[in-house]
Amino acid sequence: MPHSSAAVPASGLRHPRLTGTPEQWLTRVCVAIPTLALILFFGYPLLTIFWQSFVLWDGTLGLDNYAAIPSTPGLVTAGINSLSISLSTTLVCILLGFPIAYALERSRIWLKPWVRLSLLLPLLAPSLVQGLGLLFLLGRNGLLYQWTGIEQNIYGYWGLLISDVFYTLPQAIMIIQAALRNADARYYDAATVMGATPRQQFFDITLPNCKFGLLSAAFVVFTITITDFGNAAVIAGDYRVLATEIFSQVSGQQNFGMGSVVGIILLLPALLSVYIERVASQKQFGGSSENRIPLDPAASRGRDVLLGLVTYATAAAIWAIIAVVVFASFVKLWPYDMTLTLANFKVNIASGYQPIWTSLYVSVAAALIGIVLLFLLAYGVRGLQGRLAQAIYLLSVLPVGVPGLVLGLSYIFTFNDPHYPLHWLYGSALLIALCNFYHYHTQGFLTMATGMRMVPQALEEAAACLGGKMRHVMGDAILPVIAPTVLAVFFFLFMRSMVTLSAVIFLVTPQLNVAAVSVMHLNEAGFVSQAAAFSTIIILVVSAAMLMMRTLVYYFRPNLSSGTS
Amino acid sequence: MSLELSHVHKSFDGFQALKDISLSVGPHDFVCLLGPSGCGKTTLLRIIAGLLQADGGEILFSGQDLGQMPPRSRNFGIVFQSYSLFPNMTVRENIGYGLRIRREPPARIAARVDELLQLIRIPDMAERFPWQLSGGQQQRVALARALAVNPRLILLDEPLSALDARVRNEMRHEIREVQRRLKIPTIMVTHDQEEALMLADTIVCMNNGAIEQVGSPWQLYHEPGTRFVADFIGLSNLLSADWTRRHAPEMLAAHPPPADESRWLLCVRPEHIRLAADANGPATVGAVTFLGNLCRMTLRWGDMDLRVEQHAASAYREGDRVRPTIDPAHGCWVTA
Repeated sequence: MPHSSAAVPASGLRHPRLTGTPEQWLTRVCVAIPTLALILFFGYPLLTIFWQSFVLWDGTLGLDNYAAIPSTPGLVTAGINSLSISLSTTLVCILLGFPIAYALERSRIWLKPWVRLSLLLPLLAPSLVQGLGLLFLLGRNGLLYQWTGIEQNIYGYWGLLISDVFYTLPQAIMIIQAALRNADARYYDAATVMGATPRQQFFDITLPNCKFGLLSAAFVVFTITITDFGNAAVIAGDYRVLATEIFSQVSGQQNFGMGSVVGIILLLPALLSVYIERVASQKQFGGSSENRIPLDPAASRGRDVLLGLVTYATAAAIWAIIAVVVFASFVKLWPYDMTLTLANFKVNIASGYQPIWTSLYVSVAAALIGIVLLFLLAYGVRGLQGRLAQAIYLLSVLPVGVPGLVLGLSYIFTFNDPHYPLHWLYGSALLIALCNFYHYHTQGFLTMATGMRMVPQALEEAAACLGGKMRHVMGDAILPVIAPTVLAVFFFLFMRSMVTLSAVIFLVTPQLNVAAVSVMHLNEAGFVSQAAAFSTIIILVVSAAMLMMRTLVYYFRPNLSSGTS
Repeated sequence: MSLELSHVHKSFDGFQALKDISLSVGPHDFVCLLGPSGCGKTTLLRIIAGLLQADGGEILFSGQDLGQMPPRSRNFGIVFQSYSLFPNMTVRENIGYGLRIRREPPARIAARVDELLQLIRIPDMAERFPWQLSGGQQQRVALARALAVNPRLILLDEPLSALDARVRNEMRHEIREVQRRLKIPTIMVTHDQEEALMLADTIVCMNNGAIEQVGSPWQLYHEPGTRFVADFIGLSNLLSADWTRRHAPEMLAAHPPPADESRWLLCVRPEHIRLAADANGPATVGAVTFLGNLCRMTLRWGDMDLRVEQHAASAYREGDRVRPTIDPAHGCWVTA
């Protein structure tokens, strides 16, 4: 972006006093570059999708796209199906997620580290791996049929429900865990002395105080489910849902207007869930009390046995689904010849291993672009005050409310337009990288901003007062403290880019394909073992990245007490 | 209605948190458990509340053994430092919670809550949530919540330490007044000696899991039994028998040293040393700190630095030669 620094005075800083120290100018440039990029690659595309929803097929404007929803074949059915699958997934996730979160935070069950690890697994693979695993377990050629002869049709509502549950459950559990974690032991001590039984304490204190967490988890699960593409593509079969419908409307029938209308409909629950989550984080109990006394769950055999059973069974199922995919990738001819082989890794589609390399390139690019822009933004925003800073902050956290599906659509509308100055990016791996980065912009920004807040102002000022130049302040005061955060953000963006499907599905072409989409294509073409092999490679890469992240973050953790890095 | 503890002890993973605690609390007493952090005072309070089980010893309340009685059957009231009001309940619901779980009729609960809101002087805040109250108001509500069930004993766990100085002082008076009016035996844990001196009928001074001394505030200040108590409560000068013999022999006449004098020290409070300007005096004034009504100074006397407090009117300056005298009516021997 060579022209972006020239655009600084034009982007809202047109005050009469444009003077300032070199440091102030540095701050302005730091904010201007990422903000401009945010507008170009997130704000403008999002506006385009709104605009596009009013553009009719003959180029005129109107509400006809909205009016046409009821008469579009399949769309109403898909809408009803999407709603019912999302509602049932939400219900199951809350009913199952609460006891597991409760077991992790408020019980003395064994093997908690193992359970936590299990809950990380679905994050290591593209969403469609749940569907794939389920097919290997319960499908027409699945293990269950092989072992028992019980035949069933896993395609459709039940298959989709199960794979969506296993995909979203970990995220629901993490949100509920956070709501349960902040409790102070003194609430319960006070209640005990006042005469409340454990049962009364649960219903009068625990449950009311995590209702926002439950609500937030419900909305997050609902949003992920209704916008998820991967599992629906693999296992939904004839059960049409909005995510697959929107894809066929846009990719198949080039019906952009209808696509954008559905996209905007899908935006609503997502934005609502972001709002609920923000309210929830403020209303959870004892959120910010500093000298909190953590809860030490009392011994209770009955509770632990019951919660343990639910938790272990769920964790085991998560393992089974991932493990069967990895296992299938080493099997000669599933399910007839179970001898182990590496043959599946000799992929015989035209592009071969190219999608893996593209995925790696895209993910590294997204992570690198991400940490540079996010670092500048987090550094610059810290020195800004007032309405402009608030606006930039809001824009930075908005992407979390936009489902990947909608972002992908908006990219097509924006970058496919030959009049858009950045049209030349269309069809490039770089655009996929940018799309992935802005898809996960919010989480990266919040992490980076939190890390930046940990830099002691005194350290920075001391370095400056000692006569340090900017690069000294940066190198001696800021970087040592923020290095682990930068690493964490890098690997976060890398890992998400490796597995995300819903946004990139609109941006891939036959010439430019990424690994997660290849798994889908291989599965559709009937090469299930090779689809499994591709999944295994993705899982391995992402697991290695996660391991590397943990090691490096630990190695570079700031040691503020002794002042060295 | 009195509490009797005998030979109570408790260990955590081999660490002895409480060693052989025996204590009795009378029917209307306000008892303060005073000591530095980690001395075991909170552990003792939690054992009395029933939130912890003692490893051994006996706890009787009005002759009834509390050992196996669950906390909810004890009918005690407890107030914590802060953050213990249920955030999902209004002030009214918080105060009425104990009555609600005792299945009192709603009309009775409402009447009792109104009565308590009057007592703690925030009658118009019944429908607010805890986060809408100031720290002092939250602690008043916590106190009302503890009182609602007519407890047989009130336990206060550092109830004021999270409040700012002005509110804390106000609350001290209020707690004392409420306790005097209701005549409920009360045990308060604190690490603040000023608070203990001001509130308590009896102070239990604790150190390293054991009781150092039990007595009235006056006794603990004027007749400390151990070096720890003399140091922890107020300022003190601890003089060896040898030094006293050389520099202030009149003190030995008034307070004959115990037999094994090397194991005892004479405790003299700073305000009991009087100074007279004397160019040939045996002592020199060191650093002087002005405290408004008082002047605190160090005094080089013999080979010791003593702490002295004088009214600010009679200020001395650093380097002045003085002749000090210790008031023989005060002072006592403490174990070293």
